[in-house]
Amino acid sequence: MAETKSCDTELKTAFPSIVQRDTTQREFSHFFVAKDLLPTIARHLHTQPGLHGRLALLWAVDNRPARNTYELHYLFTLEPSHRWVLLSTELAKDDRVFPSITPHIHAAQWYEREIRDMFGLIPQGHPDLRRLVRHEHWPQGAHPLKKDFPWDRALGRQQGEHRFHRIEGEGVFEVPVGPIHAGIIEPGHFRFSVAGEPIMQLELHHFWTHRGVEKLFEQQPLAAAVPLAERVSGDTTFGHSLAYCQAVESLRHLDVPRRGRYLRSLFLELERLHNHLGDVGAICNDTAYALPHAHCSRMKEQIMQLNDRLTGSRFLRGLNRVGGVALDLTAAQLAEIAAEIDRMEQDFSELESIIAHNASLIDRLEATGVLTERTAWDHAVVGVVGRASGLDQDLRRDRPFAAYDELSVKVVHYRYGDVRARMRVRMDEIHESMRLIREIRLRIPQGPVAVESSPRAQAGEWALSAVEGWRGEILYMVMAGDNETIQRCKVRDPSFVNWPAIQWAVIGNIIPDFPLINKSFNLSYAGNDL
Amino acid sequence: MPPIVQSLLLVTAQVIVLLAVSPFLVGLIRKVKARFQCRQGAGVFQPYADLAKLFHKQPVLSTTTSWIFTATPYILFASTLSAGLLVPTLSSQAPLNFAGNIIALVYLLALGTFFLILAGLDAGSAFGGMGGSREAIVASLTEPTMILSVFTIALTAGSTNLSTIVHKTALLEGIVTDPSPHLMALAALFIVTLAETGRVPVDNPATHLELTMIHEAMVLEYSGRYLALVEWAAGLKLAVFLSLIANVFAPWGIATTLTPAALAIGLVAYAVKIAGLAVSIGVLECMFAKLRLFRVTDLLGVAFILALLGLLFFYILRS
Repeated sequence: MAETKSCDTELKTAFPSIVQRDTTQREFSHFFVAKDLLPTIARHLHTQPGLHGRLALLWAVDNRPARNTYELHYLFTLEPSHRWVLLSTELAKDDRVFPSITPHIHAAQWYEREIRDMFGLIPQGHPDLRRLVRHEHWPQGAHPLKKDFPWDRALGRQQGEHRFHRIEGEGVFEVPVGPIHAGIIEPGHFRFSVAGEPIMQLELHHFWTHRGVEKLFEQQPLAAAVPLAERVSGDTTFGHSLAYCQAVESLRHLDVPRRGRYLRSLFLELERLHNHLGDVGAICNDTAYALPHAHCSRMKEQIMQLNDRLTGSRFLRGLNRVGGVALDLTAAQLAEIAAEIDRMEQDFSELESIIAHNASLIDRLEATGVLTERTAWDHAVVGVVGRASGLDQDLRRDRPFAAYDELSVKVVHYRYGDVRARMRVRMDEIHESMRLIREIRLRIPQGPVAVESSPRAQAGEWALSAVEGWRGEILYMVMAGDNETIQRCKVRDPSFVNWPAIQWAVIGNIIPDFPLINKSFNLSYAGNDL
Repeated sequence: MPPIVQSLLLVTAQVIVLLAVSPFLVGLIRKVKARFQCRQGAGVFQPYADLAKLFHKQPVLSTTTSWIFTATPYILFASTLSAGLLVPTLSSQAPLNFAGNIIALVYLLALGTFFLILAGLDAGSAFGGMGGSREAIVASLTEPTMILSVFTIALTAGSTNLSTIVHKTALLEGIVTDPSPHLMALAALFIVTLAETGRVPVDNPATHLELTMIHEAMVLEYSGRYLALVEWAAGLKLAVFLSLIANVFAPWGIATTLTPAALAIGLVAYAVKIAGLAVSIGVLECMFAKLRLFRVTDLLGVAFILALLGLLFFYILRS
């Protein structure tokens, strides 16, 4: 806490004009700043050695109905202390321009373009003002998150062409890949500039299937939007619903019972397990080494069938609800999980040694697709990808949620940043998840799994929530409206921040290695394209 | 029996054998891989059903393609089948042995590859060109190795005619006491086989990732009967290479006369040998990851050196 105080005081001394606001959430300072000062303060937070602020989230709110303003919020995580600092500013009536912080903080680039597309606000000074989410065929002036944009209006079409960054020269070719792929993959376009096989540049062009998720949230009552959160990214059903529920619980000042918290940690680890198992196999499969893929797929299937037996849903749907979880597990069921995990750990360890001793596989993985620590930091990369590039961050340890305050999570990180490091992080986390599941079984207290009473949330109040899903940091900002509606819900899947980093990890690699690098990131298209 | 009738019969028999056996080899390799991965896998006769299905489907042609694209499957199929008629299978007398030797075989296969590369470029997709350029690298590196490795055996037999080579080896004429040159040549030819037929660790026939493909990238635009011909030709090429390895290096059991009894033994021996080779390819595919594209040249370099050493050893051992 002393550290918190000193940091707040330092900011206030450095920038006398900023106003600190009281917050009800712990470990969280909120400052209100004038928009012109924003880039300077943001840069200060980002670059000061003692602060080391990572831009975790940037969101806008159309507050015209209430106050006739647009609000912009910049959330920083100070890496030494993992504390949150929020900078907020307001655009006065008819002001549609805000200063871009991208020239100082690279990680803001997609957020600012997204805000421009969704709200029609212009980030002044942004080096790349092409459309991001709103593809060129979307009509002029269609900014879906503005309050006066009806959610059920069909978009028209207009002519337009996306301009890619071009590299020209003798022997330089462009290779377009996607958005339709040969496998069962979501739509995404990759534009390579290659000279022979080596990649000189990769540019992503995603956001092909915009579903309007954040707009749809605004049409739902607070308590009924959990199924929507579960469908943001199908492979992270539980992570997303947990992040959403936590935000609403914090708005309603609900305290989830301990047993409910332990069950949430349990299900989150089960989700991590089946996804990591699938990824380890898939990485091997992309080098044509299909044996581990077959075994990992089997183990993944076993976990998913276990999910099904325990909860009735392979993807852990319908488990989270505001106030806790929807079902309790018996002691026999917990023993069944532990037995399954014990069997699988032996199985997986055996497979691990087969993988580790296959020189032809290791040769493909090592030094492939290196994401340096510096590039990872500049992109504010999170989760598995960050930990493989030397960023020692994990919300389960750094900002404990669910029952992680009572569980000791061992966080692994590697500094190599190559495909092998990303696979090793996953393999180590599989063991750690199995250990956590056992620990949960031993420590889980008796008692209720959910609370019923729900005090009403105040209109205009908002809450932040963070969950370390299997892919990385999932953030939700939920703002309550009148009568238990949602005024604004900002969803941030880890994929949104990790996707741009892949463009740098592939440079200098050869084009046939791209699918392997992409698989080692394994990012969600749906979670990215809300 | 007049010689012309006998020749025609031999050609017909060999065409039937090659056409019949090639989808089976593909199915067998897939089955072995599936079993190693603890999967049931499709039946070994699935490739026949796939071919039948493809022949009944309407082909879709891109508007950017020219006659090369539609002619290539026929050229590829015909050239690969002709190459197959130069290789002894059941009998040491290959049906077309009077028409060409090992060099003719290499360049008949190269003709098919050449047109396939052209067809890949012709379709105008980004992947076709990429596959084509990679195939060109692989083909140009395998060609000398393939010739050299068979030359080691040719020197033993004193002829480049495959039938003569196989016949003499089968009758143990002129065989050297030390088999090391032959073993080196065999290793070289096996690597060439993996590369030429697009198997792991050079190419991955099972992948859906276009960016990593070699052979599959060139044929991505094919459909219907054209695809069927291309796939069947790929199976034929596999059969040709396996027959070459089986009968040049281990001609045991092959019919050296055209009596029914000898041919029956030849058939059984042939079936066992190429099935064994197909299984060994399947097993290998389960043990290794695919090489990085630029490491493929290293592997083919090793194959070339092996073939060359085989030749040198032959001379050293003889003198």
